[in-house]
Amino acid sequence: MFPAQGWGQLLPLLLVFCLFRSAFTVKHEGFKTCEQSGFCKRNRAYADNVATLGNSWTSPYTLFSKSLKIDNGYITATLLKSLGEGVQSVELSLMITFLQSGAARITVDEKKRRQGEIELRHGSQARKERYDEASKWAIVGGEKLDKSAKADTSSKETVVNYGPNNRYRAVISHSPFSIDFFRDDQLHVKLNGKGLMNMEQWRPKVEKPDIKEGEDSKEEEQSVEQGEDESTWWEETFGGNTDSKPRGPESVGLDITFPGYEHVYGIPGHASSLSLKQTRGGSDAYEQPYRLYNSDVFEYEMDSPMTLYGAIPFMQAHRKDSTVGVFWLNAAETWIDIVKRKVSSNPLSLGIGGKTDTETHWFSESGLLDVFVFLGPTPKDVISQYSELTGYTQLPQQFAIAYHQCRWNYVTDEDVRDVDKKMDRARIPYDVIWLDIEYTDGKKYFTWDAHTFPDPLGMEKQLDSHDRKLVVIIDPHIKNEGNYLVVDELKSKSFGVKNKDNNLYEGWCWPGSSHWVDCFNPAALEWWKSLFTYSSFTGTAANTFVWNDMNEPSVFNGPETTMPKDNIHHGNWEHRDVHNINGMTFVNATYHALLAREPPASRRRPFVLTRSYYSGSQRLGAMWTGDNQAEWSHLAASIPMILTQNIAGFPFAGADVGGFFGNPSKELLTRWYQAGAFYPFFRGHAHIDTRRREPYLAGEPYTFIITQALRLRYQLLPAWYTAFHAASVSGVPILQPHYYVHPSDEAAFAIEDQFYLGSTGLLAKPVVTEGAETVSIYLPPGETYYDYFTYSTHVGSGSTIAIPAPLDKIPLLMKAGHIFPRKDRPRRSSGLMRWDPYTLIIALGSNGEAEGDLYVDDGESYDYEDGAYIHRHFSFSSSTLKSSDLSADTDMSKPSKKRKAYLTAMTAVRVEKMVVIGAPMEWKGRSEVKVEEQGAKQTRTVEMKWFQGDGGAANWAVIRDPGMEIGKGWTVKF
Amino acid sequence: MRSPYFLLLSGTVARAIVAAEAPRPRGVGPEFAKYYKDSETFTCISAPSIHLSVARLNDDFCDCPDGSDEPGTSACAHLSPLSPAFLGSTPSDDLDTTTALPGFYCKNKGHHPSYVPFTVVNDGVCDYEFCCDGSDEWARVGGVKCEDRCKEIGKEWKKQDEQRQKSLSNAAKRRKEIVADAERLRKEVEDRLQSLRTEIQGGEMKVKALESDLAEAERQERSKVVRSPKELSKMGLLAQLAKDRTEELRESLVEVRVQRDTGKERIAELEGILSTFKEEYNPNFNDEGVKRAVRSWEEYAARDKPALGDDAHDRDLDEIAKPDGETGAIKWSEWEEPEESDVGVLYKFAAYLPTTVRDWLDQKLRDFRVILVDNGILAATHSPDGESKGLADARNALKAAQDSLNENNKQLNTHQEDLDKDYGADDVFRALKGQCVSKDSGEYTYELCWLDKTKQKSKKGGSQTVMGNFVSVERILVDDEVPPDGKGLGSGERVALRYGNGQHCWNGPNRSTLVVLACAEKDEVWKVTEEEKCVYRMEVGTPAVCGVGEKREERPKDEL
Repeated sequence: MFPAQGWGQLLPLLLVFCLFRSAFTVKHEGFKTCEQSGFCKRNRAYADNVATLGNSWTSPYTLFSKSLKIDNGYITATLLKSLGEGVQSVELSLMITFLQSGAARITVDEKKRRQGEIELRHGSQARKERYDEASKWAIVGGEKLDKSAKADTSSKETVVNYGPNNRYRAVISHSPFSIDFFRDDQLHVKLNGKGLMNMEQWRPKVEKPDIKEGEDSKEEEQSVEQGEDESTWWEETFGGNTDSKPRGPESVGLDITFPGYEHVYGIPGHASSLSLKQTRGGSDAYEQPYRLYNSDVFEYEMDSPMTLYGAIPFMQAHRKDSTVGVFWLNAAETWIDIVKRKVSSNPLSLGIGGKTDTETHWFSESGLLDVFVFLGPTPKDVISQYSELTGYTQLPQQFAIAYHQCRWNYVTDEDVRDVDKKMDRARIPYDVIWLDIEYTDGKKYFTWDAHTFPDPLGMEKQLDSHDRKLVVIIDPHIKNEGNYLVVDELKSKSFGVKNKDNNLYEGWCWPGSSHWVDCFNPAALEWWKSLFTYSSFTGTAANTFVWNDMNEPSVFNGPETTMPKDNIHHGNWEHRDVHNINGMTFVNATYHALLAREPPASRRRPFVLTRSYYSGSQRLGAMWTGDNQAEWSHLAASIPMILTQNIAGFPFAGADVGGFFGNPSKELLTRWYQAGAFYPFFRGHAHIDTRRREPYLAGEPYTFIITQALRLRYQLLPAWYTAFHAASVSGVPILQPHYYVHPSDEAAFAIEDQFYLGSTGLLAKPVVTEGAETVSIYLPPGETYYDYFTYSTHVGSGSTIAIPAPLDKIPLLMKAGHIFPRKDRPRRSSGLMRWDPYTLIIALGSNGEAEGDLYVDDGESYDYEDGAYIHRHFSFSSSTLKSSDLSADTDMSKPSKKRKAYLTAMTAVRVEKMVVIGAPMEWKGRSEVKVEEQGAKQTRTVEMKWFQGDGGAANWAVIRDPGMEIGKGWTVKF
Repeated sequence: MRSPYFLLLSGTVARAIVAAEAPRPRGVGPEFAKYYKDSETFTCISAPSIHLSVARLNDDFCDCPDGSDEPGTSACAHLSPLSPAFLGSTPSDDLDTTTALPGFYCKNKGHHPSYVPFTVVNDGVCDYEFCCDGSDEWARVGGVKCEDRCKEIGKEWKKQDEQRQKSLSNAAKRRKEIVADAERLRKEVEDRLQSLRTEIQGGEMKVKALESDLAEAERQERSKVVRSPKELSKMGLLAQLAKDRTEELRESLVEVRVQRDTGKERIAELEGILSTFKEEYNPNFNDEGVKRAVRSWEEYAARDKPALGDDAHDRDLDEIAKPDGETGAIKWSEWEEPEESDVGVLYKFAAYLPTTVRDWLDQKLRDFRVILVDNGILAATHSPDGESKGLADARNALKAAQDSLNENNKQLNTHQEDLDKDYGADDVFRALKGQCVSKDSGEYTYELCWLDKTKQKSKKGGSQTVMGNFVSVERILVDDEVPPDGKGLGSGERVALRYGNGQHCWNGPNRSTLVVLACAEKDEVWKVTEEEKCVYRMEVGTPAVCGVGEKREERPKDEL
C-alpha cells in the first residue's frame, strides 16, 4: 500500500506511532514507574548488583552475637550493617517475637534515629524516628508471646523451636544475618537468603562544592559511598511536584524466598491475576514490580501490577498440601518483585523434589523493617493467623449484604422515592439506595442541596417503611469556603493535615480548594463524631449510613493524584510514613462516628464503604474495586480481584455492577448482575454521564433474568450471613478460591474464575464473556456436584466440563456433602424476610453424609455479643439429620436476658421445607420421616416425597413442612 | 413445633373454613369463591389432578403448582417467573405453574377491596396503601399489629374522589371550550384556503394572459434587427466570456484565500488551545467528556495532516491573483477584436444591391432570421443597449403575477399542511399551540409551550435552555400510581407530545423531552424528571386530553 519512497514517507508513520503510544500510556503519565521512584530504582539496582556479583556477594548485615538476649518468646539483638573496612558500622536493633498463634515477627529499627541523633534538612518539623505506629492501626490482637518457644544459641546461629507442638523452627544465622523457617523439619521461608536486605541509614547531605563543612562525615562519605549514585537520595521531582525528602534516603528492603513454592497470592489491590505473576523476566511477566501506594487511578487498566486504591501487604505461598505466608507491616510506598526460579535440585529444600522457588523482594520507602511469618500448613491457618493480628471482618448488618442500588447521582429526593417505588412495582428486592456527591450543597459534606433535596427525612421515612436504608457519601476533603461551619472548625481547631512548612495543607478535589481532615489526630476523631449526630447532620436518620470515597487521599492537583509525601500528620509523622494507612484512619473515624450516633445500650452496627484500605480495614466495613468500566474485561477481572481480597483477610468486597464508566449492553448488565449476586458486597453503580440502568429499565427478558439473580441472592442470604459470621470470627474467606478448598489439587492452583460460597459447597462460575451458551468449569477428581437448578449430576475428574449457561442461567453447582439454609419467599427487602421460614438444602455425599451451618441474629444490633443469636450445625449421616447447637458454652449454660428474649421471639421461625438431593433409591416408596424435637414429648411424622431425576439428574426428596423451630435442637430420621 | 401463637392462628383459619358456607378462606376474592366450596377436599385450580385435604388450605405450605392452596399466606409467593428456577415438590414440566390467583384479597370494608401481592403478606409491614383493613398482616409476625383503617382511608378517598369527579367534569367542560376554539381556528384556516384557491385560479389566468403578451412583445423585439455597433466574432465572444469568468474567478480566489488564511489562523489557535488543554487537563476529574475530547484530539493530531499550502504554492497563487493587464499572462484585447460575422457578411453583400432589392432582401432576411431564431437554429442577438420598454414592462408584469401566484400557492400548501397536521383528537392542540405553562422544580423553572418548545431555566442564573422542539403527537403506555390529589398519569394509554433536537448537551445528546399528558382541570406541569442524561419527561395535566382514549383508574391500583 505504501510504496517505499524513502524517509519522507516513513516519518509521518513514525510520528503517528509515537502519538498512539502516548495515547495508550496516558494513564501511566500520572503514576510513577519503578525507574521514577528513587528507592525502587535503588533497591532494584541493589538486587541487580547482588545478582551480578553472585557468590562473591556477602550481605553486610551481621548479628552481633554478644548483644543477643533471649527471653520468653522473644529475642533482641543488635544488627550491624557494615559500611566497609575502617568505617563504623550502622547499629540496628533487631527484635524477633514468637507469638502464640504460631506467627513469628521480625522487627528492625535504626538506633541513631530512634535516639534522635540525626539532623533533618530544610528545618523540617517531621519526626526523627522511623515510623513505628503502623502496628497501632493495623494490629489488634494475637500479640501474646509463645512462652514455650525454646532457643539455643551458638556463635554462628540461634535456633528457636516454637509454635504448636514446637512444629516450627527458626534458624537465625548470625553472619551474614538471615533466617530460615522450618515446619516439621522442612524449609518453607527464607529471609535475606539472597542477601537483598537493605536498610538505608540516615546520612547527612554533603554539598559537593562546599568542601569545608562537615569534614569528618565527608571523609566517611568519600571512603564508603564514593561512586554511589546520589541522584535519588535527596529532592525527587515528579510531574512538577518536588518532594523535599528532609531525611534523605531511608528505604527498607528484604528478600523473602519460598523454596519449592510455585504459587503466591495476595497483596491486593491490583487488577491482576489471583496467582501472582513474575516481575523480572520470564514468561508472561510484568515489567514493573507490584506496587502498593494507595492511589485514585483513573480508568485503571487490566492485567497490571500498577497500584490501585488500597494496600494489603500480606502474601501467601502455596504448594501441594502446604501454605505459608508473610505480612510486611509498613505503611509507606511499597514495591514487590517476584521471581519464580526453576531449580532442578535444590539442596535447601531438603527432600522436596526440586521444583520451583518463588523469590520475592519487598521494599518500602521509609519506616521499620517489620515482617510476620506464618507457617501454615493450610490456607485457613495462614489466613486465620493473619486475621487474628489485624482483626476479623466486621459482622455487617443484614442489609449490608443484600442488594445496593447506587448511581452518581439520584438527583432529587423525589427521584429516590420514585426509584424506590419502581423497584417495588417491578417486584425487585433491594435494601439500600445511595447518594453520591450531588446531594450536598456545593460539595460541602454534612449539608443538603436545598433545591434538590428539600425533604431528606421524608425520603428516609419512605425507605424505612420497607426496612430500607440510605447511604450518603462523605469524603475527607473539606471545602475551603466561607460560612461553612465544618471547615471553620477544622481550621480553628487545627484538625487538618499540614504541609511541609507545618501550615494547613490546601489542595483540590471535588469542591475545588479543600483541606483534609487528619484522622490520625484523636481530637479530630472526637470532632468527626460530633459532625454525625442527628442534630448536627440534619436530614439523616437511623437508617442513614455512610460511604467514604477519595480517601487514598485523592488530591486532584497533588503528586500522583494524592498528597505530597512531605506533608505532616498528627504526631509530626510525614505523610510518606503513613500514606497507605491514611484511608483506613478516615474510615475508622466514620465508623466510630456512626457508632456514637446511638446511646451505648442501643448501638447498631455501622456500615461504611471505603475505597482505600489497608490491613485492618476489614474490621470497619466493606470495600469495592473502584472506578471500573462497563466492559466484559472488567467483569472478568472483578472475580480474581475479589477472590484476592477474600484470601487477604478483607472479604467484604465487590465491584460496581454494570461497570462505572460507560454504558453496558443489556447482556453485559445481565451477566454482571448474575456475577454480582455472588460478590460479598453487591452494588449496582453508574457514572453520571451514563444512561439510567436500574434493573427495571432493562426490558424483557433482561429485567426478568436480573430479578431472578437478585432473588437468588436474597434466597441465599441465610447462607451468606452464615459465611460472613464465620469470617467475622475466624477470618475464613467468604468466597473461597479453588486452592483454598482443594489444597492438594496441584493442577488447579491458578484457577481464578470459579469459587465456593463459604462452607456451603456452592460452586459458582459466573459468565464473563459475551454470547456464551456454555461455560467450562473445573471439577476436582472424585467430587460429585449437583446443578443448583436442575440437580444434574457431575462427577469431577480433574478437568473442565462444559455446563449450559444460556443468558438466563447462572452456572452454579452444589458440592455433594453439604447442607445450606435458604429463605425462599421473595420479599421487598431483607429486613422483611426476618420472620420467614427456612428451607434446608441437603446435597448428600456419595457416603450418604452431609453437613453445614447456620448463623442468625437480629442482623443489626450488638445483642449477639450477649448471646442473642442462633448458631446451628446440621449433619446428616446414617439416614439421620441432626441440628446441634454451636453457641458458645457460656451462652448456653448461662443465657442472658437478651438471649432468652431473642430465642423466644425466634420460636416463630420454622423450617418449612427440606430438599435432599442425591436421595437414595431406597427411599422410593417411602412417604414419611420422623421428627424428634428437643423438649417435645412425642415424635412427629412428616410427609416426604421422593422424586426420580431424569436425564442425568440426581434423585431428590422433599420433606413437606417438617416445622421444626430453627433455634431448637432436633433430629429427623429418614 | 411451630410457636403456639402461630398454631393458634392456623387453628382459627381451619375452624373458619370448617364453619363452612359463608366465609371464604382468607385471601380469596369473591370471583374465586367457587373453587373453595368443598368442605373436605380442595382441588388445585389449574392442576385438577391434585386434590388436597382442606386442612392444607392456607397452612403456610405451598402444595399446588399454581399456588391456589395458599390464597391467604405468602407460602406460594415464590411462584413467579421472577424467581430463580427450582425443583420443588412437583416436577414442574407437566403442570401449569402460572399462578392462579391475582394476589391476596383484602376486603377493605368501607373502601374498595383489592388484591395485594403474596410477597407482602405477613412481612411485618402494614400496607395500608393497598390493604386498608390491615388483613395482610394477620399473622402479626414480629408483633406487628395493623388495625383496620378503611373507615378513615375510605372517607378520605371518597372526599378526594368527589373532588376528582368535580374536577373531571370541569375538565370535560373546559375541553369542550378548547375544542370549540380549535374548531373555530380550523374553520378560519379552511376559509382562508377557500379564498386562496379562488385567488390562485384568477392568478393563473392572469399569468397565462401576460405570458402571451410577453411572447408577442418579444416577437416584435426580435424582428428589430439592429446591427450592433460592435458585433463580436465567436472567438471574440468567447474571449469576452472567458475574461469575465476569469475576472470573477480571480476575485473569488482572492476572497477564498483571505478566508483560508483566517481559517488557518483559527485552526492554529484552536490546536494551540487543545494541546494546552491536553497538557493541562486533570485526568482525575473523572469527566468522560473531557477524556473523550482529549482522545479525539490525540487521534486528530496523530492523523497525517493535509498540506495547507506551502510558500511555493502561495507564490503561485499570488501570480494567479494578479490582474491580467498589459503585462499579465493573457492579453485579452488581442482576442476581443471584432471579426466579420455571418450577418456582417450579409450586410456587406447587400451593400452592392439596388435599394428595392435590398429592402426586399432585408425583409426576407429578417423573416428568415426570425424563423431561425424561433426554431432555435440561430441565437437571438441581444443588443447591448437592452430591450425596449414595452418588452421589459411585459416581462415585469408577468413576473409580478407569477410571484403573486407562487406566494398564494405557498400559502395554500402551508395551510393545507396545517390542516392535515395531527393536532391530536378533535384537533384540540390547535387551540393551545404557542401557549405556555411553567413549573418551579428544585433548581430549575421548566416551561412547556404547546406544540412549540420545552425549556429549562436554572434559578442559579444562566440563560434559558431549549429542551426540545415539537416533533409529533403520540400515544404511549404508562403504568404509574395516581397520588390522592389526582396529579398523576395512572395506567394505560396516554397522549404524549414528543419534543426533540433541543440544545446540545455537554457530554451527551441533543436534549429531548417526552411530554406525557393526563386529564386535569387546568394546564399544569406536575413533574419533570431527567430520565437519562438530557432526556426529559414531563408529566402534565391538561383538559385537552380528557376522555381521549385514556381510561383513568377508578381507584388506586390494586397491586403494588
